[in-house]
Amino acid sequence: MKLELGNFYVKDINFGEKTAFKDEILSINKEEALEVVYKDEHITEADIKIVRPGDMVRLVPVKEAIEPRCRVDGGALFSGVTGKLIQAGDGKTNCLKDMSVLVVGKHWGGFQDGLIDMGGEGAKYTYFSSLKNVVLVADTDEEFEKREQQKKNHALRWAGMRLAEYLGKTVKALEPEDKEEYSLEPVTKRAKEVTELPSVVIVMQPQSQMEELGYNDLNYGWDTNRMLPTFMHPNEILDGAVISGSFMPSSSKWSTYDFQNFPLIKRLYKEHGKTINFLGVIMSNLNVALEQKERSALFVAQMAKSLGADAAVVTEEGYGNPDADYIGCIVALEDAGIKTVGVSNEATGRDGGSQPLVTLDPKADALVSTGNVSELITLPPMETVIGELEALARDGLSGGWADDEILGSSVKEDGSIIMENNSMFCGDQIAGWSPKTMKEF
Amino acid sequence: MKKAVVYLNQFFGQIGGEEVADHPPEIREEKVGAAMLYDQLLDGEVTHTVICGDNYMGSNKDKAIDTILDFLEDVEFDIFFAGPAFQAGRYGIACGEIGKAVKEKFNVPVISSMNIENPGVEIFKKDIYIFPGGHSAAKMKNDVTKMVEFGNKILNNEELLPAEEEGYYKRGIRHQYFLKDKTPAAERAVEMLLKKINGEDFESELPIPELDRVDIAPAVEDLSDAKIALVTSGGIVPVDNPDKIQSASATRWGKYDISGMEKLGNREDGAFKTIHAGYDPAAADADPNVVVPVDAMRAYEKEGKIGKLHNYFYSTVGTGTTQGEAARMGREIAQDLKEAEVQAVILTST
Repeated sequence: MKLELGNFYVKDINFGEKTAFKDEILSINKEEALEVVYKDEHITEADIKIVRPGDMVRLVPVKEAIEPRCRVDGGALFSGVTGKLIQAGDGKTNCLKDMSVLVVGKHWGGFQDGLIDMGGEGAKYTYFSSLKNVVLVADTDEEFEKREQQKKNHALRWAGMRLAEYLGKTVKALEPEDKEEYSLEPVTKRAKEVTELPSVVIVMQPQSQMEELGYNDLNYGWDTNRMLPTFMHPNEILDGAVISGSFMPSSSKWSTYDFQNFPLIKRLYKEHGKTINFLGVIMSNLNVALEQKERSALFVAQMAKSLGADAAVVTEEGYGNPDADYIGCIVALEDAGIKTVGVSNEATGRDGGSQPLVTLDPKADALVSTGNVSELITLPPMETVIGELEALARDGLSGGWADDEILGSSVKEDGSIIMENNSMFCGDQIAGWSPKTMKEF
Repeated sequence: MKKAVVYLNQFFGQIGGEEVADHPPEIREEKVGAAMLYDQLLDGEVTHTVICGDNYMGSNKDKAIDTILDFLEDVEFDIFFAGPAFQAGRYGIACGEIGKAVKEKFNVPVISSMNIENPGVEIFKKDIYIFPGGHSAAKMKNDVTKMVEFGNKILNNEELLPAEEEGYYKRGIRHQYFLKDKTPAAERAVEMLLKKINGEDFESELPIPELDRVDIAPAVEDLSDAKIALVTSGGIVPVDNPDKIQSASATRWGKYDISGMEKLGNREDGAFKTIHAGYDPAAADADPNVVVPVDAMRAYEKEGKIGKLHNYFYSTVGTGTTQGEAARMGREIAQDLKEAEVQAVILTST
């Protein structure tokens, strides 16, 4: 399987007569782009804005981030989600780099939604402040969940994907500035000098805890709650096979953009053939019941053993209850003699004094920590807010609150905010970007 | 100018030696003894010195703390220094006790220094900043310098670095930290993985505290002949809580006579209740037997399933209680149980 990602570096984005990519500038015909958004009749109101790093703009509630791309040979960017099922990870896909499509609720937020500050001191808390962003800000007629804390955000998330595909098509027939090639020989058909290196798998635990369908990450359009761990080619992940869901406090989430660019996968690829033999991805999941957790850990350890893995990286999209899946999986791998490193965030409380993970085990002796979900963050007002600032306080965002006897509301009258890191959009960057760690103070 | 208060014991406060260790607390609007050294190094001024005898603090803790907090009520200060206490155990604990109380009441930074062997380190490192110090007063200048340098950083609003860089004892308080070199997590993970594969040393970013596992005792062969005791961390106590067990972060336990009782009476009866702050007390207050099942054990006694229920049950509170305190209380309770020839224990948690 060979994936060629063609990169087009976007220097700037503006609105113009024609939607096109030319001279490193992405122009968008807003009317035409909005037509793509309105293709779903559930979208009732929509606008598109452009934000750049350093802009004094606050976005909330942010629901999703997607990298605009185009499959050169045709076919849906998100296999089984935005079109028919095709094999992801094999072929050519052109990508608009240094930018993303952000999906923001015009009014209503939920538990899983996040906040992005493009400039000022809040910018450091998310990866997406470093990108130029096309912001879809919209509302829907999904009345059934308007005032629910848990939202599927279906119409908005799918509109975001359509918009990303629409923008991605601008580079379908163009020659990319540079290319990244990803290929792995079949596991049993590799050169001796490669197989002699330590064999490594990455175990991904995407968010799948909701028993009800519609909230979890999708794998080729299939709800990850309904799957058992399975073996995947890393190219599939980098090429849109998995999309983000709409559950779990935002800072612990992997957006679709994160899946498309998964830094841990790319970093392991870099070592392949040099220091390691990168076997591929064991795509596991996260569950609520103990038996489900144990079953997944059994499948993962068996698969890793059968593949001949000497070492593994385990990474979890979440915290709290799924820490049991995370530590359980690491322990199962260590028990199978597989040297394992874990990557996740911690929840040590606002005072930093709480136990970092729900379960701990001395066998998990090599962990990378990417942040503290409950860190308190106060930020000054922003000149511009895209979305609705009040959502942070009103709508049950995991890091916001309507009232607190000491701290008051998350949103102050002057527009300044106090919140937990929990609601920083994909803020703990568990996919591998995080420049944060955890230290004793 | 920022203002500081320094706490010293009778010796470093120049009252005298062991013979005046019962000296009650006093406050002076001047720099006494070691307080002068603090004043020289501080980006600010030491305005007051509090002096208290170590034994006085040891045997009249609550009174001593109340008196000192009263003294400080009308004093304006930005920072509080206690010690250094070197290896002196009573002095270390006194610095910790008063430091913790001052921090809670006035919410100012409190800094102390103690030798690693000082029992005050283990007890109070979570509550106040404690820097590693020398064994004796020969290290006075060195220890005070470390304390004041850190204090100056706080007073000057400089960025405070993690414990390992600032040098104070780690407190089990973990916060997120932006790495100066911004090395992304993926880089750190693969680096760690390669080291682990190659058998090289690596440093986990989340060290798992060493678990102090106790082997499970061999099974009791004949229960019908055994004396069984009930022990709980669920905070069931007589309604007046005679041992003043804390509702959280407990350091005390109690032992309560149940001889002749068919079951535990409840709060309404004026008998037993829970003081545990970590769960909804309604059910346990209505029927304490749901936490300490005296009723069920009496039934087993009658059936002959167990030999005898021990005449006392033991209780403390588990919420927020440190592992160190829990282990100490466990050892003390176990000693008592052994002396009473109890063969097995049912330990209930909540």
